[in-house]
Amino acid sequence: MLTINNLVKRRGTQEILSGISFEARPGRVTGFLGPNGAGKSSTLRILLGLDHATSGSALIHGKPFAELQHPLRTVGAALDGSGAHPMRTGRAHLRWIACAAGLPRSRVEEVLDVVGLTKAAGTRVKQYSLGMGRRLGIAAALLADPELLVLDEPVNGLDPEGIRWIRTFLRQRAEAGNTVLLSSHLMGELAETVDDVVIIKQGRIVADGTLEEVTGSHSTLEQAFFALTSEHAGDLR
Amino acid sequence: MNIQAGRKFTRILGAEWGKLVTLPAVWLILAGTFVAQWVLTAAYTSVALQEGAILSAGLASMRYLQAGFMMLGVTATASEYTGGQIRTTLTALPWRGLQLSVKHLALVMIAVPAAFLMAASGVLYASLMLRDTAVGLEPDLIAASLAGATGYLTFTALLGAAAGAIWRRTTPALVILLGYYFIVSPLAGAYLPDYLPDTAGYYMYAPPSADPHNALTRMQGTGISILWTLLFITAAILLYRKRDA
Repeated sequence: MLTINNLVKRRGTQEILSGISFEARPGRVTGFLGPNGAGKSSTLRILLGLDHATSGSALIHGKPFAELQHPLRTVGAALDGSGAHPMRTGRAHLRWIACAAGLPRSRVEEVLDVVGLTKAAGTRVKQYSLGMGRRLGIAAALLADPELLVLDEPVNGLDPEGIRWIRTFLRQRAEAGNTVLLSSHLMGELAETVDDVVIIKQGRIVADGTLEEVTGSHSTLEQAFFALTSEHAGDLR
Repeated sequence: MNIQAGRKFTRILGAEWGKLVTLPAVWLILAGTFVAQWVLTAAYTSVALQEGAILSAGLASMRYLQAGFMMLGVTATASEYTGGQIRTTLTALPWRGLQLSVKHLALVMIAVPAAFLMAASGVLYASLMLRDTAVGLEPDLIAASLAGATGYLTFTALLGAAAGAIWRRTTPALVILLGYYFIVSPLAGAYLPDYLPDTAGYYMYAPPSADPHNALTRMQGTGISILWTLLFITAAILLYRKRDA
């Protein structure tokens, strides 16, 4: 269970997040949607302990990320890019993460196979395409078979086959009882994948509910999103 | 609980060691420093043939060697900020103070043998080249000088690592460190006190001075160098814990 409670983040005089609250529950894929700059990545960074909140909390099973005893076994995270040094090979990158989680090297080969990077594992990350970098980031997130997945814009840079793969994969993870939280600004890609939807606009949550509830009377999630986040839309929550 | 803490420490050390040894820049810096050290030692030894001072000739390249160890240290920490690796590091090892401390320890595990090999090979080369003209040296003095040189280069690498963590980018950290060690200190050395990192560190490996009123002892130099290193690492850890990644 992921719980964001009244989260506020200020940078200088600018308020990035203005008291946002929502939950991501086990067995469901939660889509965290919003236009670029709405505060999605800032929220995920605070959830993962990368940035400090000005006030409020972001908890995983009731604890801040830094207090988790086994972070990689609890949360698998993939933020933008590969998250790897460009001069290291994909395999070497995954191996030090495996070491951090106390996993055998054989697990590295398994996840390389899962994301289709086995052939490129010995290549330096700087030679990876955008999509290969994303696959490496996802491989790192899956390494310790975590209970929760937190993915920032997971379909960015993936080819159609990769997008289809990740949709199916995320559904399987949720159906196995895991919690999946993913952010995106691409509504069309997500409508078939998510169970719950949280929409953020300018640092405030403007909609939070099941896919059906948020879509409401609109014909698609995309239309609901634009109605909720357009310039003149009110807070419909 | 102790077993768990021990396992956690071992995993962090393994991960940080793995990161260092799979970074090509680490090996390029060490290889480049080793080659430069040999060239400089050969040059200094040929000049010293008349004087027969083995330790002075063998350790004469220390001043330049320290640049390599600074680069090694800065690379170890500043490389975290290339390609967004810091995000992966902090989601895998979110205990910031412990993780950065252990990263410094992993660096020590590379810096100590590398520094000893470089210092010892320099002294060995000088002693072979100067064997006909040099006066005999006390084994204790050689051992103390080599230990001091190894310690000084290791502390320099640790200072570099702390600077890399503070500035989070290689270029500014190196410009500031190299600017101090190679421009400010040589030009203003007469006006600067003996307890600054480079001058205090010099007394860790230099032969005992003929003018005891104007010099630190080896132990004083070592103590002051340890304090500087701890000060920089503490500042780096405090900032690392406080700042957004």
